[in-house]
Amino acid sequence: MTETKPSVINAENTPFINGLWRQNPVFVMVLGMCPTLAITNSVRNAVSMGLATTFVMAVSYGMISAIRNLIPKQVRIATFIAIIACAVTVVDFLVKAISIPIYLALGAYIPLIVSNCLTLERAEAYACKQPVVKSMLDGLGMGLGFAFALTCLGIVREVLGAGTFLGFHLFGPHFEPLVLFLLPPGGFIALAILLLAFAYRKERQLKKAEAQS
Amino acid sequence: MSSARVAERVLEVRTSPHAHNAMSVEKIMRNVVFALLPISAYAVWMFGISAFFLLVTTTLASLATESAACRMSGKRSSIGDYSAVITGLLLGLTLPPGLPLWMGALGAFIAVGPGKMVFGGLGFNVFNPALVGRAFLQAAFPVAITAYTPAKALGRFTEFIPSSLAWPFMKAAPVTEWMARVRVDGFTGATPLMLRKFDHIQTDPWSMFLGERAGSTGETAALLIFVCGLYLIIRKFMDWRVPAAMLLSAIAVAEAFHLADAARYPGPLFVLLSGGLVLGAMFMATDPVGSPVTPRGMWIYGILMGAMTVLIRFLGGLAEGVMYAILLGNAFSPLIDNLTQPKTYGERRKAVAK
Amino acid sequence: MSQLIPPPESAPSRENSIRMVRLLGTVSLMCGVLIVGTNLATRDRIRQNQETIMRDSVAELLPGVKKQVVYSIAAKGELKVMNGIEGEGQRFFAGYDAQGKLAGVVIEAGERGYADVISALYSYSPATQTIIGFKVVDMRETPGLGDRVRSDEGFLANFKQLDARVENGKEVHPIVTVKHGAKKNPWEIDAISGATISSRAVGRMLQKSVENVTPVIQKNLDRIERGQ
Repeated sequence: MTETKPSVINAENTPFINGLWRQNPVFVMVLGMCPTLAITNSVRNAVSMGLATTFVMAVSYGMISAIRNLIPKQVRIATFIAIIACAVTVVDFLVKAISIPIYLALGAYIPLIVSNCLTLERAEAYACKQPVVKSMLDGLGMGLGFAFALTCLGIVREVLGAGTFLGFHLFGPHFEPLVLFLLPPGGFIALAILLLAFAYRKERQLKKAEAQS
Repeated sequence: MSSARVAERVLEVRTSPHAHNAMSVEKIMRNVVFALLPISAYAVWMFGISAFFLLVTTTLASLATESAACRMSGKRSSIGDYSAVITGLLLGLTLPPGLPLWMGALGAFIAVGPGKMVFGGLGFNVFNPALVGRAFLQAAFPVAITAYTPAKALGRFTEFIPSSLAWPFMKAAPVTEWMARVRVDGFTGATPLMLRKFDHIQTDPWSMFLGERAGSTGETAALLIFVCGLYLIIRKFMDWRVPAAMLLSAIAVAEAFHLADAARYPGPLFVLLSGGLVLGAMFMATDPVGSPVTPRGMWIYGILMGAMTVLIRFLGGLAEGVMYAILLGNAFSPLIDNLTQPKTYGERRKAVAK
Repeated sequence: MSQLIPPPESAPSRENSIRMVRLLGTVSLMCGVLIVGTNLATRDRIRQNQETIMRDSVAELLPGVKKQVVYSIAAKGELKVMNGIEGEGQRFFAGYDAQGKLAGVVIEAGERGYADVISALYSYSPATQTIIGFKVVDMRETPGLGDRVRSDEGFLANFKQLDARVENGKEVHPIVTVKHGAKKNPWEIDAISGATISSRAVGRMLQKSVENVTPVIQKNLDRIERGQ
């Protein structure tokens, strides 16, 4: 947590890259765990969920940022939630209009984007203080970072758990899938593996930087 | 965990009496391995070379994992304390004899790696490692882990069960054709518990008593397991309270169900002989790492597991409940320890009114 | 990690409260307009999507069907032709071939499986009183085990010719799921080995649905054959 401070300052200059990678919501900030674990049992679901969240974040942060100087401090959370909930409802309609099977697969998790702590955290920390374009870029970057993380998890879980990628069989008909990875405990295990890889990489980078200085 | 379990090779300061020789971890563990050997031998007699190679695979894989984990964390190798051997053997004994060998190896890796070494090695793990491995396999390969094959198959010492030799990460060969060929009359591929739950067929208690039935590799011979466990109890390598509590509570709960509805629920004898209850009670529930240390706590722990086993078998969706009952008991044991701490001499209860 | 906005220094004044209410009102209004707008814009598309999915499923269960009519059964066993697919009551779809002859009906059914409700469609031939097809629409069964009721070829073969005769409101032979490999009679469903609970749920689903729905269809058969 100590090294996040410089990157927050940094974030104001490069909001997009910041969310996508440096402060990745899942791998670095570990936010929004509910959809991360619940909806990543196939690549298609993970990508759709990530994109739906991205849309909600970009649109609602633009709106929040536009009226940021009018919002009294006492009701800011209520205002954020009203705006985010509105964007979520719009997404709900749009997903249904695009594809009913995807809508059925995502199920209750689209309405739950409202309560995803990631969306509220960025509204509070960034969008209500920064200009419109930057806020939208932040929402877009964070959302795509979220989508990227979900997709990684979706790939691990679908490939190991079903032996398929986007529905295509990868290993021939005799592959024995580790069904566990499609089930909820598999979500936790896959996430742990990915977080371990991220932490390991970070530690090596820090050691390298130490050795250089 | 008992103090003997985490004994280290440093100067130990003990209170009196000093003359007593503390039992070393190695000595206990070695004797547990001795006690498991007759069970393993009988399993090989029942199920043939497939069972033999399954046991060898799980044991070697858990030894390899333990040694690799020690090397990665820069510790002295701890494979000499026999605990990895026990984990490997126990895991092998709880798996169906025809399970593909690569799945057995994967299970042993999960058991010793994430199940034990991640927590810091022997004495620090929360759950019984062998059962962690088995729970993983059950969740990952629900079909393979319930594919039981009959005991005493013809030619079992010259021929593998076809599913054993699957390539890593590949499906096992079907066993139906092989089973039709080698089957001795009266033996089926379903365990007595499965027969009861899904087909409402009762298995003859005598064949269950001898262990001549389908089931996990080492769970079938209830009497032999009981005797081997008794050896450990008599030589004071493990406490008698946990298995006694677990078996008695399973008997009591089963009897209650049987009295309420004899047509639906079989009696205590069937419950004792049919699944892995005796093996679990004698060798897995008693693992001192995962069980409470106070005598009262041991009783509570055993009763909880015995009752859970029967409840899962009778009311749950699974045919067998011993594994989850013991894992649940492991999870409860720190709490039980907390609740059953003996009072210090002279300590008084705090006045409630104040 | 985020710098929180410091709490207000003074209690909100009356003027402040009015401002808050006004702002929240405006935001809600804006959001409301946006939601209603999206709803209007996507409504037709969504209905079309839902209908396409239904019609495709019906066409899959009754191959060669050219025309479909949607019926619903009201509480008193009364039959009603529906315009769209949305509506109350038990629905079923009558399919007609190129000559306008009734090829069969597709009936909606649901039953609690191992995890949550399995909802499915099955096709029924009123002429022979048999079930001739079965398709899972939605479910949450365990992947690799229970979800094979959707795809297992051996299991789906059960529904090519499943006896569903009904006399006096009772099935002649109630549809029942039997253990894998034990199917002997045309009204029995051969379970998937390892997925007994889900297979049994399908059996119960069909048994109940056949008993409740098919008598109404048989009673109103002339009407359905005429497509009214």
